[in-house]
Amino acid sequence: MGLIMGVETLIAVLVIMPFAAALLTLVVKDARIIKPLVIASISVLMVASVLLLIRVLESGPIAFSPGNLWDILILVLDFVLLAYFLYIGFTSRHPLILTLAGAQAVMLPVLKFYILPSTAKVDPVLYIDLLSVIMALVISIIGGLIIIYALDYMRDHEAHLKLDKTRQHIFFFFMIAFLGAMNGLVFANSLLWLFFFWEVTTLCSFHLIRHDLNAEAIRNALRALWMNLLGGAALVLGMILLWQASETLAIQQLMGLGTVGAALLLPIALFCFTGFTKAAQVPFQSWLLGAMVAPTPVSALLHSSTMVKAGVYLVLRLAPAYEGTQLSVAIAIFGAFVFMVTSVVAISQNNAKRVLAYSTVSNLGLIICCAGINSDLAIAAAIALIVFHAVSKAVLFLVVGSIEQRIESRDIEDMEGLVAKLPLLSGMAILGMVTMLFVPFGVLFGKWASIQAAAVPFSAWFPLVVGLLAIGSATTMVYWTKWIGRMISVVSFNRDAKVEPKSFLSYTTILLMVAGAVVLSVFVAPLVNILITPAESTMGYAKAFETAGWHLRSDWGLFTPWPLFIAITLALLLPALLIRVRGDQYREPYLCGANDPSGVGPTFHSIADQGVAVRTGGAYWEALFGERGLTNWINGAALLLLVVLFVGVFV
Amino acid sequence: MSSGELGLAMAAFMLAPVVGGLLTGIDRKLSARMQGRIGPPILQPFYDFFKLWGKDTLVTTRENLIWAWGYLLLTMVAVFMFFFQQDLLIIFFVLAFAGACLIFGAFSVRAPYSHLGAHREILQMLAYEPILLLAAVAVFLKTGTFMITGVFEFGEPLLPYLPLTFVAILIALGIKMRKSPFDISACEHAHQEIVRGVYTEYSGRHLALITLTHWFEIVLILGFITLFWAQPLWIGLLIALGVFVLELIIDNISARLKWSWMLGVSWVVGIGFIIANMVLIYCAGGFIRV
Repeated sequence: MGLIMGVETLIAVLVIMPFAAALLTLVVKDARIIKPLVIASISVLMVASVLLLIRVLESGPIAFSPGNLWDILILVLDFVLLAYFLYIGFTSRHPLILTLAGAQAVMLPVLKFYILPSTAKVDPVLYIDLLSVIMALVISIIGGLIIIYALDYMRDHEAHLKLDKTRQHIFFFFMIAFLGAMNGLVFANSLLWLFFFWEVTTLCSFHLIRHDLNAEAIRNALRALWMNLLGGAALVLGMILLWQASETLAIQQLMGLGTVGAALLLPIALFCFTGFTKAAQVPFQSWLLGAMVAPTPVSALLHSSTMVKAGVYLVLRLAPAYEGTQLSVAIAIFGAFVFMVTSVVAISQNNAKRVLAYSTVSNLGLIICCAGINSDLAIAAAIALIVFHAVSKAVLFLVVGSIEQRIESRDIEDMEGLVAKLPLLSGMAILGMVTMLFVPFGVLFGKWASIQAAAVPFSAWFPLVVGLLAIGSATTMVYWTKWIGRMISVVSFNRDAKVEPKSFLSYTTILLMVAGAVVLSVFVAPLVNILITPAESTMGYAKAFETAGWHLRSDWGLFTPWPLFIAITLALLLPALLIRVRGDQYREPYLCGANDPSGVGPTFHSIADQGVAVRTGGAYWEALFGERGLTNWINGAALLLLVVLFVGVFV
Repeated sequence: MSSGELGLAMAAFMLAPVVGGLLTGIDRKLSARMQGRIGPPILQPFYDFFKLWGKDTLVTTRENLIWAWGYLLLTMVAVFMFFFQQDLLIIFFVLAFAGACLIFGAFSVRAPYSHLGAHREILQMLAYEPILLLAAVAVFLKTGTFMITGVFEFGEPLLPYLPLTFVAILIALGIKMRKSPFDISACEHAHQEIVRGVYTEYSGRHLALITLTHWFEIVLILGFITLFWAQPLWIGLLIALGVFVLELIIDNISARLKWSWMLGVSWVVGIGFIIANMVLIYCAGGFIRV
């Protein structure tokens, strides 16, 4: 297959074609044309990502340098982007954006025209190894499905908003361009190219967050913009320092350089900081929390396959560069800290999207922690978590989006007993949460591997890291379990069986992804064999798992996915299929004997024999876990950790 | 594992509920004596079990019953994996899934007492889950593997190296046994309540199932404690029995406390002790090098 399409064509399809398709949607504007156009281009994108996989599996990593003209084009576009950011900062009177975009607009020419000699050339410009391919698969397939889901969603969304003129073409322009930028970002070996695509994702996310153009959306978009520009500024500064220390701007040449000295470690630390901002790590979590004002497909895209994943990708990509340094340990502690505190705060949230957002930040923290632990097992765990988290989180966002369109609320309290009202959607939501939460699903596989990796004394700080991971695992369980509990809470009498209005594309895409999450989890052993272990070895790490019999045996433990799958499926499915209940066995729930049989649903006798319907609610323990009490503290602690991280570079 | 060991593991798995039931009988007898009563016969839990099993089940929702079965079967999976000396972390993850089934069962009917119990059960899980995971890590530091087989291959008792971890596990044991001061979501003998939290909506056969599951759970946690002195195993068994009796004494001399207190104790003392234990092992250089 690899012979049918050349490398150049594949890269062009994966990076440039989305931009072309995006421009086309912007021009045609007509929803009737946009729909087939989007479906066709996404399909091509998905096929191309699979072809790329086959190609790289067959003949190893691809090194590719487009002509010099492209370098110039990228540079010109860099300045166009920065000028646009300055313009936004100026028109919205936002001094932070002005400063940060301005800093980049000063530093970039300094780097390009003053520091870099005119003969300087990064070779190769693009380097596509298996890690890049895994990212491209996640971006193209999961991101693609999210965009297909958005086709129906945006139609309903605009119908709900009663817009005079459709703005869907703008929406799909940025959504599709996003995929191209992400693919470019994970292919780039030249930091200059990476920087360009990085800024494009910043631009796309800014426009997608402000898409609905209400005051809140505009405010949150500006916040996302300045935080991401801060990351961009750190990236340019890092490039300047890196060139002066090592005369290279190629990621592949950084491997193992971290141990050489502080002059080289500092730019690497800056790049990781850039990754933290994009991955919305504490104290930058507020931009991702604010991003949920956007239409749901945007949240799904930002949280699962793109944007934040670019952040963890960069940190993970650089892992071999800072291996064996104090920076690595600091990153592990920082990631574990974020994993723990954000999952604690998530307990207090009753807004479904906020729970999902905190869960995203938390899981990204875990991935970053794994990169910091920097062992064979930890890196395997990080890659596995990227894949599994992307699938499950996409499912959850899309499902919450569809639920929101049906019940007009994203409050978990309003989802009480939803399994009776919207059985299919709720079923997919619960299954999605289960794949995030329990053995033997992939996310838990990653968690298992990461706790093992953290348990090995990789540094004197390992008890802290593994302690944070253990607490974070428990708190993660709390918020998912509570949420599932609200959705399954029903009464046996008077079940209101509504007809669930189903829109074909939305339901199909969610179903496909739920199925994907389950199937990938069952076949985690081949996944590790074919993708994760080879991806690790091109990064310079050794094999972490023996997979005889499709069990995953690490050096220190054994994970048996399919026997567990059989056991757990039987344990839950058999009772579900076999239990029969006769009509005369049903009783009302216990209400201290004060049940009022005349009520609709559980009702009890209250004052003066008045019937009062039973109401139940979820607990959120605001006083202990609430944002109000915790946010300032955790932001402060995270800032302190970041300071320590940078100071540690020089020690 | 040799075929002899396999047979032994299978036998232990089959005997687990019997042992669990007997322990509960001993518990009721001893507690009664401590309270100046004569108490029921040791076999009373079994009589109760069969009596419950024979009763007709009253149902609030069908899902309620499904989750009760899930709770039992998944706990059995965890116990099975324990006796077949699998990965400790996975065993605790499966146990957590089982525990979540009990919670889902309580949530699956719109009933106020049951929901209150479910929320409290979640808090209990939040309290003991990190202790169990970290205890597995502490064991790993000495044996160099998360597999239970490694504990037996280690050749030495673990307790002298892991005294603080051992103390922390006692907290988890107290919570899992539903004993005061940690009987937040449902008390084992219902001595402080009439409406029994997370169990409220269960009756008849399904309450019997939950009782049976509880026996399995007790055996699993006591089994984990036994691992702290696996060479020779009979000392470990004696320690587990001693700890069990200690738990009964604590139960009878203390009252239920607030959940925030439970969380504080298990996180600060429990997790703190295990981490201190890890630091000690690390400083002494006594961990397995890899």
